[in-house]
Amino acid sequence: MAEEEHKLQFAPFHSLADEGFWRRLCSLKLDTLGIDQSPIPITGFYAPCSHAQVSNHLTLLSESLPPECDEQSSLASTVIRGNRNRCPVPGILYNTNTLESFHTLDKQSLLKAEAKKIWDDIQSGKAEEESAVLSRFLLISFADLKKWTFHYWFAFPALVLDPPAKLTDLRPASQCFSLEEAESLKAACNEWRKSTGLLGCFCIALVLFIILATIRPLRDWEDCQSACQKVLFGFYDPCHLPNHPGWPLRNFLALISSRWKVEKISFLCYREERGFPNLDISLLGEALVSVSQAWDDPQFIPNAVGWELNKGKKVSRCITLANSMDPTRLAISAA
Amino acid sequence: MVLSQKLHEAFKGTVERITGPRTVSAFKEKGVLSITEFIIAGDNLVSKCPTWSWSTCGSNSTENEIVTTMDLLAGRDLVSIVGNSKWESGEPSKRKSYLPLEKQYLITRNVPCLRRAASVEEEYEAAGGEVLLDNEDNDGWLATHGKPKETKLDEENLPNMETLDINKNNTIKSIPSYFGGEEEEDIPDIGDYNDPDNLVETDAATLQSTYLVAHEPDDDNILKTRTYDVSITYDKYYQTPRVWLTGYDESRMLLQPELVLEDVSQDHARKTVTIEDHPHLYGKHASVHPCRHGAVMKKIIDVLMSHGVEPQVDKYLFLFLKFMASVIPTIEYDYTMDFDLGSSSH
Repeated sequence: MAEEEHKLQFAPFHSLADEGFWRRLCSLKLDTLGIDQSPIPITGFYAPCSHAQVSNHLTLLSESLPPECDEQSSLASTVIRGNRNRCPVPGILYNTNTLESFHTLDKQSLLKAEAKKIWDDIQSGKAEEESAVLSRFLLISFADLKKWTFHYWFAFPALVLDPPAKLTDLRPASQCFSLEEAESLKAACNEWRKSTGLLGCFCIALVLFIILATIRPLRDWEDCQSACQKVLFGFYDPCHLPNHPGWPLRNFLALISSRWKVEKISFLCYREERGFPNLDISLLGEALVSVSQAWDDPQFIPNAVGWELNKGKKVSRCITLANSMDPTRLAISAA
Repeated sequence: MVLSQKLHEAFKGTVERITGPRTVSAFKEKGVLSITEFIIAGDNLVSKCPTWSWSTCGSNSTENEIVTTMDLLAGRDLVSIVGNSKWESGEPSKRKSYLPLEKQYLITRNVPCLRRAASVEEEYEAAGGEVLLDNEDNDGWLATHGKPKETKLDEENLPNMETLDINKNNTIKSIPSYFGGEEEEDIPDIGDYNDPDNLVETDAATLQSTYLVAHEPDDDNILKTRTYDVSITYDKYYQTPRVWLTGYDESRMLLQPELVLEDVSQDHARKTVTIEDHPHLYGKHASVHPCRHGAVMKKIIDVLMSHGVEPQVDKYLFLFLKFMASVIPTIEYDYTMDFDLGSSSH
């Protein structure tokens, strides 16, 4: 595999919105928004894959939506609290008033607009401070409050590398390190997860000579670069597949490539089992990325993809909560 | 038990592991936990099994209005099901004031459930099923595995949340209106919305795969992966933890709680596992009813003590989750620890 170069393919990100999210959206729509269709800033949560057979998702909960207006006063102090199992990611929600307008939303432009934000954050350096912006997402929805039914569609905008990244190596991380190196890496990962565990992308500085791995935030890349033998780019990989890295690597590669002009990128798909780093399911890969000249043009915005498929099809999803929200049904079931 | 004292302790001593002698004796004698002990045991679970986290209450004012509406509509019945002090009817918030704000309940998300419990039980029986934990009261708790009554599990027939197919083979009768109702016919099929308009996305770097399905290379059966959010709340009335299950199907759509019962040991489905309002989350969720938790935990503690193991209250949830695994055997939540249960362990 090491010799053979082939196109790097990324496993798409997936969404999961819990009942609380839709309930909150309902009340927000009824009590605060009314017919206002302005986009709403929301927060999604994700965590590294924590089981060899199941990928993790971007999860929306009731607290993903902004607080109600009567709490606006405390808004400034309201910080979305994440934890190691819930790394917050910024997103935006376009909730329409009718099903028709939901279907006629210009999905391509909406996606492009979000991709531009990601691109701008990469160019401005914000993404290095706050790597969560690389995983920015988009949600469009129509909430049918009469039927307690919600039509929705997620997108995870990814900047398309042109030409595509080539994968030169990808294997379980456990095969790439000596026992001591692996131990040092795991210890560093554990430490990272405990302390600043909310940043999903990071640099791993490997000083192989004295077998020491340290994890640093992205902004320290240059220091790592000069001080270490090897720098790996690590990210929380929600994907469980043994042969593919997950979606968040896409924009990360775009950042590494366009900001730091690194062409040969060593990356670590950080995955866990039972909440601890597992190097057998974590992947270590090497990709060759050489983007075209156009990327240097300040006006240039890379193409973007990322609408979530529904069972392999390009259709929206629909959930009905009538069973738990319709007062008539509740009354009948309670009788 | 002086509540205000407990309350005070819970708020103040969440990090410090204070265990008053009196609470210790309640844990050993009755298998129950005080609120402080619940926090201590929860802290220990979170630190040993990091897939678990404490959850704050995400509720705010508008949630309360919905809850109130539901109280009015469903409250009366809930009271009769779970007992007066359990459901505090008309309580304005889902936030429990007797628990610290930051530690309202424990949750682990995206827990895989690769097989249906019923199919596991068939294998288990074929292998000559055995008693999990003997119960002399013979009241159905943890009894030997009887013949599974409803093992007809045709994956094809699982109702599809998105199209709201009404499951013709639905054996669920307890809530007749659950899937019924003519108005559902108004809900258009999602297939109609195959947007022709503006979504053309072709990208060679996107993995095109049906990998939503768990791959088991050595198995011909391609398994569909349900996942669960498993939460543990503190049940004030029974003074024990209580497990709640929120299921998602293989395409990450909310599972109707009725379908969650397929992932519950069939001896417990509908008897000890009931579908109720979650004390902290929205909607109806399946839950292992805690009325016998204290007694069973007491037995486990007795077994430990008879083997010379001194049970510690901060390990309560590990024992508890091991016990829960007999009710929900296929939901692979994390409760590992190097703890010898003695002869009763498997």
